[in-house]
Amino acid sequence: MALFHCVVRLSTVRGRYNDDFDDGEDIAEFDDNDFAEFEDVSEDPAVDVEKEPPPRAAPSSTPIEDDEDEATVENEDGQDEFEDADAQDQDMYSKYDNEEFEGYEKTNPSFKNTLIYREVPAHLQNSWESYYMEILMVTGLLAYIMNYIIGKNKNSRLAQAWFNSHRELLESNFALVGDDGTSKEATSTGKLNQENEHIYNLWCSGRVCCEGMLIQLKFLKRQDLLNVLARMMRPACDQVQVKVTLNDEDMDTFVFAVGSRKAMARLQKEMQDLSEFCGDKPKSGAKYGVPESLSILSEMGEVTDGVMDNKMVHYLTSHADKIESIHFSDQFSGPKVMQEEGQPLKLPETKKTLLFTFNVPGMGNTSPKDMDSLLPLMNMVIYSIDKVKKLRLNREGKQKADRNRARVEENFLKQTHTQRQEAAQTRREEKKRAEKERIMNEEDPDRQRRLEEAAQRREQKKLEKKQMKMKQIKVKAM
Amino acid sequence: MTVNNMADPRRPNKIFRYKPPNTETNPTLEDPTPDYMNLLGMVFSMCGLMLKLKWCAWIAVYCSFISFANSRSSEDTKQMMSSFMLSISAVVMSYLQNPQPMSPPW
Repeated sequence: MALFHCVVRLSTVRGRYNDDFDDGEDIAEFDDNDFAEFEDVSEDPAVDVEKEPPPRAAPSSTPIEDDEDEATVENEDGQDEFEDADAQDQDMYSKYDNEEFEGYEKTNPSFKNTLIYREVPAHLQNSWESYYMEILMVTGLLAYIMNYIIGKNKNSRLAQAWFNSHRELLESNFALVGDDGTSKEATSTGKLNQENEHIYNLWCSGRVCCEGMLIQLKFLKRQDLLNVLARMMRPACDQVQVKVTLNDEDMDTFVFAVGSRKAMARLQKEMQDLSEFCGDKPKSGAKYGVPESLSILSEMGEVTDGVMDNKMVHYLTSHADKIESIHFSDQFSGPKVMQEEGQPLKLPETKKTLLFTFNVPGMGNTSPKDMDSLLPLMNMVIYSIDKVKKLRLNREGKQKADRNRARVEENFLKQTHTQRQEAAQTRREEKKRAEKERIMNEEDPDRQRRLEEAAQRREQKKLEKKQMKMKQIKVKAM
Repeated sequence: MTVNNMADPRRPNKIFRYKPPNTETNPTLEDPTPDYMNLLGMVFSMCGLMLKLKWCAWIAVYCSFISFANSRSSEDTKQMMSSFMLSISAVVMSYLQNPQPMSPPW
């Protein structure tokens, strides 16, 4: 019976043993389970249970004890039962009973490498290296802020340099230099109006021959890093835009433009007045003694001859690289506006204007000194204002101009005629519908009848009126 | 110069006040960049907050910076500050919820 119990225990122990071996543990460390039967019964389960989950270091102590026990026991057993006890002892110690471990591979010492080292999560490590993306981002932001400050300052310095070099000329020509429109009294502020980090305005007024002059310094967006990078791909330059608005008596009726070829082609498509009045392709400037790079758009030849006098030609020739476009027009209304469908079109408001666009030399790499080179161009502007006042078309030219304007207006009315008709038609239909609804909604049959009769009478009257008109027209025609 | 030195071209009685150009009638004159960037910034910061994406929050910060750099001086500073604060809060919330560093897409 005892033997049976031992066998049972051995098998259960083996079962547990097998579990251990599933983890690939060394056989030697679980030596003690072999000889569990020689230990105290009460101790065994506790000891064995303890040993299974915990670290493997613990069993190392107990096998030594068991070996000692084992040693004493073995000797007794070996001497008693086996002849070659020594050999058997050796077998016991060095070899295992292979029957017990059938089906299990002998593990090799490399089991130690299968220990899995879990990585400590990056945010719990004490190093900043894992946060390199964040550091990159913050560095990028700092670079952006640095560029913003540098760009803003550069633009500001350029604007100030421009104003300093032009101040004298402007103050000698205009009574009001610098106005932001907010102060109660019209006093010169004497400084530029900053609209943006890259756009500066200056309004000058109080001069003969013109209403006022708006100068816009349109610098490159040096304060925006994205723009700076984009400009590395596509170079652009700072621009100075001058817009002179004139009173009706200051300018005769003509439309004229001169500038770089690209600019002229673009303006002819974009600008309302240039597309309507200057239908021909831009002519090369060489015909008028101006560099080949400039081309001219004009309403009629007489205008070109009138504008391109010697002084003007001299200005254009000596500063051709800085001139983007010059646009004189009495029908200026800005670029073409996309009209929405179904809206009744009105003729856009026009204003007599002289528009100058100059390119600042340096192609983006401008220094404050370059602003001085724009001073002659401002002289040209002043000269043009005076000239335009004096330029008058002769009788033929005037007639041609008037015909052109009448033609444009007619075309416009024709285009919108159908639209306006449709609009009037829809309005009339709506009125009729509203009336009919009112009649239908009227519950009293008497009132209904009366309203219907009234409507009918009104319609008849209208028809009669129309007929009368037609008769009158026929009579007149005859 | 054709301006006669004797005659002063200035006429103080002919002064006209400055009228800022009406941008409603001429929308082509306006630069839409700050408005687009503002909107993008808000969209990205909401994405970053809701979907817990760190890179969205960082892009939102960049967008609000770009919008600020391109804005007009007449524009409301409250709008700028609010979009800026929103993007910063998106970044902070993303890191509080998940302190792991951002992993690059490659």
